[in-house]
Amino acid sequence: MTVKLTINDKEVTVPVGTTVLRAAESAGITIPTLCDHPNLTPYGGCRLCVVEVKGARTLQPSCTLPASNGMVVQTDTPQTREARKFVLTLLFSERNHFCMYCQMSGGDCELQNSAYCEGMTNWPLPPNWQPYPVDASHPHMVLDHNRCILCRRCVRACGELTGNFTLGLQERGADTILVADLNVPWGESTCVSCGSCLQVCPTGAIIDRVSAYQGRQADVQQVSSICVGCSVGCGIELVVRHNTLLRIDGDWQAPVNEGLLCEVGRFMPLEDKRERLLTPLVRKDGALQAATWDEAIGHVVNKLKPLAGENGHGVAALASTRLPAEALYSFKQLFADKLGSGMVTSIEEGATTAVSGQLAQSAGQPIEGDLNMLKTADCVVALGVDLIGNHQVAGFFVKRALPNGTKLVVIDPFENALHDLADYSLRPQQGTDFDLLQAITAHIIALGLAKHEPAHLADLASYTAEEVSRITSVPAETIKVVGQLLATATRPVLVYGRSVMRGGSTKVLQAILELARTIGGLDAEHSRVLGLKGRANSSAAYQYDLDKPLSLKGQQAIYLALGDDQPGQRLAERVQNIPFKVVQACYSSPITAMADVVLPTEMWAEQAGHYLNLEGRLQQARAGLTPPENIRSHVAVFQTIATQLGFSLDDNWQPELSKRVPINLI
Amino acid sequence: MSLLDIDERIIKIAELADIRATPITDLKEPDESGVEVGILSGAINNTANEEVAKRMRERSKILVALGDCAVFGGVVAMRNFFKLEDALRRAYVQTESTDESGKVPKSPELAVPTKVRAVSEVVNVDIFVPGCPPEADVIFHALSELAQGRTPELKGDLLHWH
Repeated sequence: MTVKLTINDKEVTVPVGTTVLRAAESAGITIPTLCDHPNLTPYGGCRLCVVEVKGARTLQPSCTLPASNGMVVQTDTPQTREARKFVLTLLFSERNHFCMYCQMSGGDCELQNSAYCEGMTNWPLPPNWQPYPVDASHPHMVLDHNRCILCRRCVRACGELTGNFTLGLQERGADTILVADLNVPWGESTCVSCGSCLQVCPTGAIIDRVSAYQGRQADVQQVSSICVGCSVGCGIELVVRHNTLLRIDGDWQAPVNEGLLCEVGRFMPLEDKRERLLTPLVRKDGALQAATWDEAIGHVVNKLKPLAGENGHGVAALASTRLPAEALYSFKQLFADKLGSGMVTSIEEGATTAVSGQLAQSAGQPIEGDLNMLKTADCVVALGVDLIGNHQVAGFFVKRALPNGTKLVVIDPFENALHDLADYSLRPQQGTDFDLLQAITAHIIALGLAKHEPAHLADLASYTAEEVSRITSVPAETIKVVGQLLATATRPVLVYGRSVMRGGSTKVLQAILELARTIGGLDAEHSRVLGLKGRANSSAAYQYDLDKPLSLKGQQAIYLALGDDQPGQRLAERVQNIPFKVVQACYSSPITAMADVVLPTEMWAEQAGHYLNLEGRLQQARAGLTPPENIRSHVAVFQTIATQLGFSLDDNWQPELSKRVPINLI
Repeated sequence: MSLLDIDERIIKIAELADIRATPITDLKEPDESGVEVGILSGAINNTANEEVAKRMRERSKILVALGDCAVFGGVVAMRNFFKLEDALRRAYVQTESTDESGKVPKSPELAVPTKVRAVSEVVNVDIFVPGCPPEADVIFHALSELAQGRTPELKGDLLHWH
């Protein structure tokens, strides 16, 4: 269904429901805006986008006006120009909008740009000299109320996009002021530091501490890349100037996150205070000393050569799953295929990815769906996963759907911030989640609502709600209600996290898949199940067979390709007694301190490469920074070692990415 | 000072215009009989500034406010966010180069400080040339248009507030 209207004497045809503003944009006609943002619901607050509509008594805000058949619109008339100038005049008169001491001046401020568009050379009304507070209590951002134009973009982003609802407005009229929660300092509020407000603010009201005053948009480079903070794989824009990372923006065009980021992706990387390794180090006379690359690699090669083929008492190799696929593939080739070590794995050794991978492998089909399901789900079941603590962007999709009636069921015996938001919060006794899931499935079958009958129907018979209620301490009534809810949902999604895999068992996950099958959410064509993996390239590591539990008994050497990963103390303790230790890393850590050879490599923002996210989407990360002089790429290091050992590595990393589990590469 | 940024083009302006008075010429004030164009830079922040603005207005057919201070109040207008006494104390007593013996000047001969205002808050202004400072090309455009009897129009690349 379309409507046809005329804008500035041009015929425009758009789908029903399109606003006049979007219709004009589609016809290449620009209407000035301030409160409008393409990712937010139209608000009609600033009135800058007013247009003349034939037959209408007054000017109409084009951002909230739906286009209709036969509508005749003029966007640029003396009347609209005068109205726009008046709107801007009032905005400038309200607070402190002196451009000469604002970091946004000179191209980045949408308010200033709007004034230029209207040809304003001065402010017809003198400013109001009332000073407004500056809230600098937030660790990453500063909120300067003096610069705020009350466009509510931040308020909308905080609610509509992230479902957080921290920012809001207090008072009315000229006294209106932006507040966090019930007017508490921003830094003490429920803000989750995702920075969505920062990214949509049109003026200098919300600025971040790191990039403020470091350069305007015209002075910086922007590099599209991928966040390597977790397995969601959000699209990011690296904002770089003079080879320094100033800011990380969410990429509005990215299919995964549509512009959203979390604190881990947006702010944490800019606050990395770890000490960078700038030269290879070799242990001489008991102490680590600076060495040349030739020396360091020569030393590694001499030690590894005699260990070739010595499976079990040779070299163990462990890689970070933050490394790009290219590096993981070279790593696997060098240590497993060429050096013949049977102990080549990744830092996640047997986590969620491996368990779900095994199941998919045995099922011979992908068992998981994609993140987009969360955006349209009418019922979300979160199993052993805290979407507020980690994988936050996936959590935003769930949180923002709740006000629209999406039901949230949380099944987790442990503390989980999602419990507070859940419609049904189920906290089974530890180790009884399997029974609980079986009881829900059994109840659905008993109701006659099963879309597929499970293979082991008889086994379910003993899982009555009443019986399971006794074991799990979840009320029988709740089990039944949740069963009913799931069976009648039209777009249910089951999200699980690593805590359902305790001990590497597939039992609980199998019960989840059984439940999904029963409600028609899993068949050969599609899946309404989604597993949140560990780090950014967890899925790629699994496909490359880097998922074995690390066993170090008898190993003569260990090669740790850590990159910029931050290994725990436990790993350091485990590798401590291995006779020869090589660590390939970006930053010094307790592990590099005990190494025999340290090889300094590129960190995430310096390396290009591919990442396979939790949905099986293969994405390309691009390098935004040039590494320091004496730093090498992970692949280059593996290649050099291989060459000196007399091997050659290929760079055919892609085919094996769907070797083990037949994932649908997106 | 920013006037000098237009470099040798200043000669062209001097050829086109009959410059009657400037702060650095013998004649400091425009002729009582009036001039075509009066240009004011700087904000109005005391009674003396007010007097100058009013005199300029009376004697100029076209009054121009040049620079962000004259147009908006500019950086000096930051003072308005504080109490005047606090601003004076900061300037004469508390700066890094003064000590407690510093004194806020007070004499009936001195102008009385006021709230900082844009020129247009005190007298009518005909043409605004914003910028901090206005770029050389902007100043030259404004002056050469005026000298040739036209009204300068600032838009596109010529319009910056900074």
